[in-house]
Amino acid sequence: MSKTFTLNLITPQRQILQDLPVESIVLPALSGEMGVLAGHIPMVVQLGLGSLRYKQEGIEKEFAVMGGFAEIMHTTVNVFAEGADLAEEIDEEEEKQKIKRAKESLSRKDADIDFELAELEIKQSLARMKVKKRHLN
Amino acid sequence: MESLRDIRQNIKAIKSTQQIMQTMKMISSARIRKAQESMDNARPFATKMLEMVADLKEEVLAQTDTESEIESGASRFLLNKTGNPNKIGLVVITGDKGLAGSFNAVILRAAVAFLKKHQDKEVFVFCIGKKGRDFINRFHKKNIQIVYSSIGIFPKVTYAHAELLGEAILKEYFERNLGSVTLIYNDFKSRGSQQLREASILPFNALPTVHDKTDDTEFLFEPGVQEIFRILVPRLMKANMYRVLLESQAANLAATMNAMDAASKNAGELVQTLGVKLNKVRQAGITNEILDIVNGAEALNG
Repeated sequence: MSKTFTLNLITPQRQILQDLPVESIVLPALSGEMGVLAGHIPMVVQLGLGSLRYKQEGIEKEFAVMGGFAEIMHTTVNVFAEGADLAEEIDEEEEKQKIKRAKESLSRKDADIDFELAELEIKQSLARMKVKKRHLN
Repeated sequence: MESLRDIRQNIKAIKSTQQIMQTMKMISSARIRKAQESMDNARPFATKMLEMVADLKEEVLAQTDTESEIESGASRFLLNKTGNPNKIGLVVITGDKGLAGSFNAVILRAAVAFLKKHQDKEVFVFCIGKKGRDFINRFHKKNIQIVYSSIGIFPKVTYAHAELLGEAILKEYFERNLGSVTLIYNDFKSRGSQQLREASILPFNALPTVHDKTDDTEFLFEPGVQEIFRILVPRLMKANMYRVLLESQAANLAATMNAMDAASKNAGELVQTLGVKLNKVRQAGITNEILDIVNGAEALNG
């Protein structure tokens, strides 16, 4: 049994994981994925869009994280994510629909469309699908 | 003396008002459950993030070396040496409607006290809720200016509202070079009570340090500390505004519920006293009639 530390996964809407004892975490840092084990050096990392994985009693769980921050301390890791979805609960069809809709609204070129928002939505959906695919393999 | 008809009409009017109040109470109590839930869900993000910034602020300041970084970078959020102390911001969060007891009055009283204290300064006000906006608008003072107002967002607050408010605050903070920003709102304590809060939200040097950092561990930052703070602080701002809006929303609903409950109880008492009065008047009328008949009969006999 390896040493454990606690993980908090929080989004602005709700706290998804609270004080969960885990053995390891992989974070989607901006500069690439980053593994964290117990006793990691204290650090603040900016997160990109990507997959967050953790092991609890040998079982791996995966989330699609929509950017944010992680605060790594000696015994605790706090992940502040803009959004987080459990990989198993991501519906690829739904994401495809979302991308389609966003692309449609982009191509209409109306003045009142928030381009940044539409692009962000596409990026987020793609990231969720990528996580889902990774998770299935 | 009031006639029977007047009293009956009065009772009817009070009863229908009471019914409206009871309905409003029920609407509030149905909404409050949801409001409380989203508030409880949003609390951890804002509080934990505040804790993190509070923990890190010393370190950020220690790692901010050059003067230019101090003026332009992340530390403006934290220390704000260059801000103009004679220009300050004030965020006032009230409800859109009255009918909530002292909910709005308490906030506005605190706002007046704040404005009095700072009457020699320029105050830029951010108003959430109609009551606050209308109240501040009536001041007509040169040094008080509403720079942002948002109305009708209760009781359906979303993160988007918080984002707009947070962005507006940060924008004014930088563009007008404000010395500080203060927030006045009602915190939700329980369904029975709200608590007035007056908090300094910018710059962050007023933040209390939460964790005792005796082991003085040094944090690494990836990417650099300035970049992280430049992105982190706006997010923290928005998350915190989201929490505050949800707190106000729940507190407002709770206040409405209590006020309406008390009002419909009062109305019930009023109906009862009027009922007694009605009976008395009716009885007096009957007695008078009997007297008339008896007098008449006696006059005939006599």
